[in-house]
Amino acid sequence: MSAAPTLPAFTWLRVFARLFAVQGSYNYEVMIGNGIAYAAEPAFRLLPGGRGGPAYQAALARHSRYFNSHPYLAALAVGALVRAELDGEDPVRIERFRTACCGPLGAAGDRLVWAGWLPFCSALALLAYGAGISATGVVALFVGTYNVGHVALRAWGLRAGYREGLKVAAALGSPVLRQGPLHVARGVALVGGAALPLTLHRVRADHPFSIGIELALAAGLAAALSRWQGRIDGWRVGVALLVLFLLYSVVR
Amino acid sequence: MAIEVYRIDDRLVHGQVVVGWGQPLALGFIVLVDNLVAESEWEQDLYRMGVPPEMTVHFESTTSAMEHLREYRLRPEHGLLLTGDTATMRALVEGGASIGAVNVGGLHHRAGRSPRMRYVFLDPTEESDLRAIAACGVDVSAQDVPSALPVPLDDLLTRSGG
Amino acid sequence: MTDVGTLALLTMLGAVVGLDFVSFPQAMLARPIVASTLAGALCGDAGAGLMVGVLLECFALETMPFGASRYPEWGPASVAAGAMASLNPGDVHAPSRLIPFAVLAGLACAFVGGQTLVWLRRFNLTVAARYRDELAAGDAAAVVAVQWTGLVVDFGRAGAVTALYVMVLFPLRNALAGMLHPEMDPIAVAIVGSIGVGVAGGAVWKVVHNTKGYQWWLLAGLLIGGTVAVVI
Repeated sequence: MSAAPTLPAFTWLRVFARLFAVQGSYNYEVMIGNGIAYAAEPAFRLLPGGRGGPAYQAALARHSRYFNSHPYLAALAVGALVRAELDGEDPVRIERFRTACCGPLGAAGDRLVWAGWLPFCSALALLAYGAGISATGVVALFVGTYNVGHVALRAWGLRAGYREGLKVAAALGSPVLRQGPLHVARGVALVGGAALPLTLHRVRADHPFSIGIELALAAGLAAALSRWQGRIDGWRVGVALLVLFLLYSVVR
Repeated sequence: MAIEVYRIDDRLVHGQVVVGWGQPLALGFIVLVDNLVAESEWEQDLYRMGVPPEMTVHFESTTSAMEHLREYRLRPEHGLLLTGDTATMRALVEGGASIGAVNVGGLHHRAGRSPRMRYVFLDPTEESDLRAIAACGVDVSAQDVPSALPVPLDDLLTRSGG
Repeated sequence: MTDVGTLALLTMLGAVVGLDFVSFPQAMLARPIVASTLAGALCGDAGAGLMVGVLLECFALETMPFGASRYPEWGPASVAAGAMASLNPGDVHAPSRLIPFAVLAGLACAFVGGQTLVWLRRFNLTVAARYRDELAAGDAAAVVAVQWTGLVVDFGRAGAVTALYVMVLFPLRNALAGMLHPEMDPIAVAIVGSIGVGVAGGAVWKVVHNTKGYQWWLLAGLLIGGTVAVVI
């Protein structure tokens, strides 16, 4: 593969900024397909014939079709697809690549972000709350920590995708994506484990009832939900218990 | 039986499979049955990168899947068999794969397909494939993630739209 | 009842966090711990907003948006719930009495909000269908129009549902809180906290239980947290 053509800094910036809106027209037919075309469009202006030329229009038409992946790792796809278009890859191969990379990008992103980084940052914020940190501190810690990872992942994805082009599997083999979820999951276990008793402690601080009953209820519920995992949503069970308690409180 | 779920999903290996089903079932392996992917090294590389290091993906054509299915079922870990279309699953069922239930997890928009649910779009051939699978005594239902309610085939085929 | 200025501010906040949830920029401003706290701060009691946000966050931990599955929408719901617990009730009800109702209202609104996201996606589809020929021809103006229509409508949708939640919930709030048996006042928050922490515990286990050696990390965390909770 030849070296990647250099993109002007302003083009990078425009593509990167548009990636944050990649799900802006999410629908059940093309999913984020239109968002992919929207994000990549500034780079397609560099295709032979320029803006509005046949290559530009063909690329936009191709990339506004069905596509779905994790929104943050869509950056990797956009980088790779821009590179493929600028390299003049065979459209049939580009189409096959688009189809093949949806699933892996979705799976890798879900593991790293939705099942890793986000729960970790949530647990960290709960821990901060439990430790008595102020409202401003808790919000700043959560938003700041989460978005360091979020923005870095999108920026890395765009650069790595553009560097690797259609050989993006190499980028997906990055230790951050392969081993990252494992370490983050350990972090969730440690921080989440510490956060749970501290959160309960602070929530009840001004309204203590019976720590034995509270702990038994929380631990029993957590154990039951763990056992029924995959068969029932924990939040629905929580809502049902909450309704029962409030009804009891009202009619008592 | 080591294979817990037989799923039809045109996205193949993706988040709902790896995380949505993978976590509660503690999946150790995925059998991906697709004639084109079975012959494409670079696509296999991509799909391997979509799963965690502790999970393996095995790529099979329809023919080789029939040959190896017994071995997969004897494995100690939990597994999930995945096809990208109804025709492949129908071929497995009619080929004698003794499958008890088929999960329609995602067939998305394409020219000629009509919406049945927000994640299931079917063309007439796919509908007849699913009916043929059900006619073999297989319980066919649509369900994207484990906590969603399964929608039986008869109900699915009477729906229109999401 | 809220005044018009507060309602406008809450609506704007709801629109911003609602847009953030899926469309732009997914910075997790829509998470309950952020949205509810900000709403509380707007209404003059960030602490109450934070407490509701923490409790809703415990539930939200359980609902991650894997692979385009359907999920509750937390942003506008958390704004309404945080405001519900933070705005001066104007009568004798202790703010703590409002917390359980605010949490329940937040959960109910999150469920309703999830349905409005489905409607938004169907609407986006009708817009894309209107431009089908232009998109197939690679018309950049059509790509931009489809994208911006989705963003603008999502912003409006989120603002509208937030305003609706606030206008419906506030008249209900005092009436319902007034029905709570006074004896239950001291324990209501503790019980709601236990339920929330229990749900969060199940969610943490769900995330980590396939990780080798997770038990030791979880146990270490529980010991540290439990010890600190006892000591402080």
